[in-house]
Amino acid sequence: MSRLFVQLGAEGFLLGVLETLYMTVISTAVAYLIGLPVGVLLCITDKDGLRPMPWLNRVVGFFVNILRSIPFIILIVALIPVARAVVGTSIGNGAMIFMLTVAAAPYVARMVESSLKEVDRGVVEAARSMGAGTFAIIRKVYLPEAKPSLIVGAVISTVTVLGYSAMAGTIAGGGLGAIAVTQARPSGAEDVIWLCVVLIVIIVQVIQELGTLLARKTDRRLRSGPKRASGSKKIQNKI
Amino acid sequence: MIELKHITKEYSSGEGRTLALDDVSLTVRDGEIFGIIGLSGAGKSTLVRCINLLERPTHGQVFIDGEELTAIGRKRLLLLRRNIGMIFQSFNLLEQRTAEGNIRFPLEIAGVKRRAAEARARELLELVGLSEKAESYPSQLSGGQKQRVAIARALATGPKYLLCDEATSALDPATTDSILQLLRRINRELGVTIVVITHEMRVVERVCDRVAVLDSSKIAEEGEVSEVFSFPQSEIAKQLIIPELIRSAEGGGGKKLRLVFRGESADRPIISKLAIECGVAVDILYADTKRIDGKAFGHMVISLPEDGEEKVKKFLEGQKVSFKEEI
Repeated sequence: MSRLFVQLGAEGFLLGVLETLYMTVISTAVAYLIGLPVGVLLCITDKDGLRPMPWLNRVVGFFVNILRSIPFIILIVALIPVARAVVGTSIGNGAMIFMLTVAAAPYVARMVESSLKEVDRGVVEAARSMGAGTFAIIRKVYLPEAKPSLIVGAVISTVTVLGYSAMAGTIAGGGLGAIAVTQARPSGAEDVIWLCVVLIVIIVQVIQELGTLLARKTDRRLRSGPKRASGSKKIQNKI
Repeated sequence: MIELKHITKEYSSGEGRTLALDDVSLTVRDGEIFGIIGLSGAGKSTLVRCINLLERPTHGQVFIDGEELTAIGRKRLLLLRRNIGMIFQSFNLLEQRTAEGNIRFPLEIAGVKRRAAEARARELLELVGLSEKAESYPSQLSGGQKQRVAIARALATGPKYLLCDEATSALDPATTDSILQLLRRINRELGVTIVVITHEMRVVERVCDRVAVLDSSKIAEEGEVSEVFSFPQSEIAKQLIIPELIRSAEGGGGKKLRLVFRGESADRPIISKLAIECGVAVDILYADTKRIDGKAFGHMVISLPEDGEEKVKKFLEGQKVSFKEEI
């Protein structure tokens, strides 16, 4: 057992886990606050969407793509001055959450967009034929009908953010990533690195299982009949 | 009354333009069941979507009860759509809502209070005979049941009109019949004017009062169902209504007559009588009898011997059987 391992103890690792969870959950939540409306916007302003606005769709899509195409590790470095201006500091969990959110929001937007586009166009058309306006269709058709898929998307996004948060440990913030990269690696404490890996794997598995369970529980298409098999398979494949 | 005036719909894709509807005008009278029949790609679905402006015509006007839909604002249009229900081939139910929840949906949009909406939904479930399925999700219902829920949903806001876009095309013949019966009942009992889009002849036969035949973006023919069925004028109508007849009439030589039996003439043994009274042997190439609107209705193609033509025609006129020479 390395000296660092002893030094950290159960308490140290627990703190790491909690910090990781804290950063992941807060960042994902804030990313959804931004990404969900943007995803809805991307879906309905599409040329085949509810309210086609090609230029707006292209402009928003362009910015989303730019943010999505910057590797996260580079984005962190680039965002250091921005974080200092917005959060007041470029280190620590606050700055990290800001950076994670910037990286995750466009990812979430695309995730939401793709979930909403899975909603049967016929159902949307039926709602239009009843005199439903755009807002009512988003609230009462798109979001509820896409709910299982949105939950699956949220699980994927959360796991991605979790991975980012470990990466972020190299520059700023805490959590398991920081322990493994900034503390354990220089001192060669391999046992610490491996425990961090195991803990992250466990966290991912728990999020994944809970998410899948929730998605399946909310999906009314899986209740009975021949659709059950194909429906649940579809979701499993996506995960 | 639904009036379509000179409706043209063009789709422009990357390469060029497609004309889906070409100067289509028609009137649907209050209280009737109006059929629009045509082969796939004829423009039927586009046409029915022009009535409630799910598709906006490129040119032309749509009037509902005298109000020009193509000229009003979006808010007013959304309001008027509550007066025009619509059902679809693929039912288009909300998969994440129960049957009752689906029927409540248009009421929620119309701002009806939850309790009143629930009561109305129950009432409609009873009308379509699905009271015990209120809590079922669409995935637990059969095709016919789903379409019944869709019909109940379309009627929730008490519309004066109901548009049916290939509503029975995904159903088996027995289920089709029961859905058609339901539509007929809704028409008779609730006085809902119904527009039926279909490629199935039997749907028109069973429920429609009048029919328009659509062919390559234009109306080829329009009239009372019994009239159009007896004497289809256009090539497309003949193809749709009497396909076997066309085929049988094409083969072989000699003079051919197409006889149309309606009402009582369909119940008499005309051909036996003809053979006895005129002393000619006729060859039956095609024969079919159906019931339209409760009346027997038959088509027959016979081939005549050279010398008996005049005699036979005279006899048929005497018997009040309509006929037409083919080829």
